[in-house]
Amino acid sequence: MKSATKWLKPLLATLIAGAGLAFAQVNITMNTVQIFGTIDPAKVTDYTEYMAAANLYDGLVDVDETGAIVPLLADSWEVSDDAKQFTFTLKDGATFHDGSPVEASDVVYSVRRLLTIDQGPSYLVRDVLDVDGVQALDNNTVQFTLSEIFSPFLTTVPLMFVVNEEVVEANAVDGDWGQEYLNNNAAGAGPYMLDSWTRGSSMTVKRYEDWHMGWHAEAIDQVRWLVTNDEATVRSLAAAGDLHMTSQYQSNETYDALANSGNFRVVEEPTATGFTLKLNTKVAPTDDVHVRRAIACAMDYETIREFIFPSDPMAGPLPPSFGDAVLDTIEVAEYDLDCAREEMAQSKYAGQDNIPISHLYVANTPFEEEIALMFDAVFTELGFDVTLMAEPWNLITEMATDVNQTPNVNQIFFGPTYPSADSMLFTQYHSDAAGTWASMEWLQDEQVDSLIDQARRTADVSEQNELYQQAQARIMELQPNAFLGLQTVRHAMDNCLEGFRYVPMQSFDYNFSNYSWTCN
Amino acid sequence: MEYLFFVVRRLLWSVVVLLGLSIVIFTIARVVPGDPARIALGPLAAQEQVDKLRTEMGLDAPLPVQYARYAGGLLQGDLGRSLLTQQSVNSDVRQTFPATLELVLATLILALAIGLPLGVLAGRYKDSLFDNLGRFVALFGVVTPSFFIALLLQLLAGYVLQILPVSGRLSPNLEFEANRTGLLLIDSLIAGRMDVFGDAVRHLILPTIALAAATIGQIARLTRSSMIDVSRKDYIEASRAFGIPNRITTFTYMLRPSFIPTLTVLGLEFASLLGNAFLVEMVFGWPGMASYGVRAIMQNDFNAVMGVVMVTGLFFVLINLVVDVLLGYVDPRIRIKGSQS
Repeated sequence: MKSATKWLKPLLATLIAGAGLAFAQVNITMNTVQIFGTIDPAKVTDYTEYMAAANLYDGLVDVDETGAIVPLLADSWEVSDDAKQFTFTLKDGATFHDGSPVEASDVVYSVRRLLTIDQGPSYLVRDVLDVDGVQALDNNTVQFTLSEIFSPFLTTVPLMFVVNEEVVEANAVDGDWGQEYLNNNAAGAGPYMLDSWTRGSSMTVKRYEDWHMGWHAEAIDQVRWLVTNDEATVRSLAAAGDLHMTSQYQSNETYDALANSGNFRVVEEPTATGFTLKLNTKVAPTDDVHVRRAIACAMDYETIREFIFPSDPMAGPLPPSFGDAVLDTIEVAEYDLDCAREEMAQSKYAGQDNIPISHLYVANTPFEEEIALMFDAVFTELGFDVTLMAEPWNLITEMATDVNQTPNVNQIFFGPTYPSADSMLFTQYHSDAAGTWASMEWLQDEQVDSLIDQARRTADVSEQNELYQQAQARIMELQPNAFLGLQTVRHAMDNCLEGFRYVPMQSFDYNFSNYSWTCN
Repeated sequence: MEYLFFVVRRLLWSVVVLLGLSIVIFTIARVVPGDPARIALGPLAAQEQVDKLRTEMGLDAPLPVQYARYAGGLLQGDLGRSLLTQQSVNSDVRQTFPATLELVLATLILALAIGLPLGVLAGRYKDSLFDNLGRFVALFGVVTPSFFIALLLQLLAGYVLQILPVSGRLSPNLEFEANRTGLLLIDSLIAGRMDVFGDAVRHLILPTIALAAATIGQIARLTRSSMIDVSRKDYIEASRAFGIPNRITTFTYMLRPSFIPTLTVLGLEFASLLGNAFLVEMVFGWPGMASYGVRAIMQNDFNAVMGVVMVTGLFFVLINLVVDVLLGYVDPRIRIKGSQS
């Protein structure tokens, strides 16, 4: 009997401890509507892929919800006086998922790998940084030398995720920089490690206990992303307790149903993603600035923001989150048909009837269709012959490559890729960026180009902001857009799950190390 | 000799069909709007990067040259590289095909288990209440889209009753890799993991029912009409006149000949389900080849699209070939007619 109690006590203690551990394990599930194509940090492109990368990998620096650059693998950095050299000092004690230390050579390898493969986020820096431009000064110091000043450079560094050179090279095939390997495996120093991945269906990541930033008491242990865009599936999963956070693309009915279930709440965050009508400035009749201004006057913004597409007011090309770079004298446009008529009277098309104008929107998007119908009704009354075009996204991206194929009016969402005004202004309005869906305005204005270029080559922040403001003033003068609203991102979240904050950079707001499970 | 000639002739026709299919799907995939290289690199990539990838992918070559390269790869069993998953299409198909195969096999088993008895009994008791009920069930299955049934089942069993899982093949807390056949039910049995087997069965129930509804209807209707046809034959009348029990007449003398057209349709249905399972797979988050194909279409991932079509086409051709060859063996009239045409 005595010997029985001798082993029974430790057994019970182990069972209780085990039960406690099992209880403490926090596993959450979120649905995504797209599949994870790749998790190679040198190839990721869309928001789903960045969502995985932001959890599996860390960069030298991170971005917070204000868009400020904050330390991550590097605990400090210095910028040379000519703003061409950036020297980062790595923090002590950061390790990759295999326990090996993160060293400067890993950073150099990762950046050279990114530039050599030349996909994913490399487009951000490929014009100002070459493979010799990144050097390890010692085990803890990395220096980037740019070929010319590129003021937003620091804001692009969070996208240069650091990979474990040793692991990648050990798995490289024929000098492929480990592309095959990193396409299916992770070798990072991020907060989560890849646990399992069924392509097209789900991905699970689990907490890396030795993550260099440490963990808070209510941290999430395991995150599972489930790929489904079916509303019924989402509701069923949520009802069964198998879903804790929805994607941002659910229907209003699903958000309402989940909110009414009592277990969920709908979390809304304003974003820097603008929803605009991009007006092709190079084809008739939107080649006339007065026609463009008439369009800007004739949109019923309030109805759109209140009833058709819930969003925040948007005044000009830069959302308010860009702080001092924003030209705050721009006023939010208002629906004013008299203003539209006055502008039309000043245009070279004044007095003409049935002026042909095309309006493009994404097929099978009900709210865009409603806006298109509203446009049709108003502009038919103003003397236009409106052609509504509902096209699939693939075709829209193709149409955007040719100025003559680009319709007059185009409903497009665009948000910053990196937390810099440059991301919004260069990509949409600079001539070098023309020919993509983001720049369907075909603005190609020398003055705007020059101001953006100057801002890129200026190290002084206040001078940059001044240039950005001048660029916005010029853009508003040319009126290549009607600014319909700033998108609000919505998620239905389990009442116990906290931590979603919009971050103006790719999918960094889905870094689950910032989330908490608040229920015991 | 005559039969051998027939088989060779059918084989050659199969090659021609596959060649034609490859040309048609290659052409369709290339004329669909949207630049695959641009889609792969993301909307903001520099044009220079896009051009570089286009060159790497051989998209800058004339279409006939591109097709020749593709056909050359096909002959070596290489389906090309997927832009979406950044790995070979062969590898994607290997990963996704077992899931679809498992679903389709389960569907056929369920369809046979329900459709066949339903058809037999409806045929045997023609115009009875049971026949009318059976016909209604069969008609409902045939005319109702599988995705609609899938959504209904999901809402009922997953949302209201919460008795069955509504997504995926396996619960996330179960760690198991189906690395022998890829079929979870078989691999879990081989590994002696009854917990995995049970969980996989639970996950399989709803998608199988949704996908099987139409096939059940088809089998039931076909079996019923065949049974009615056969029941009018003289030898059935004779067997009844000799006082042979109804059970033996129905299941031995009537069912066997009635089952031949059903078997033929089952073969074609198998290949057809491989490609048509996508809606059910999408609804139930089933990581199969059909949903992979749909995603590939949405992303303009033309190598993946062509790969899925070619694999499905290959199954169609092979099953048709097997059915034809078997029928030719069983019925000499077919091979004689086939060799004369």
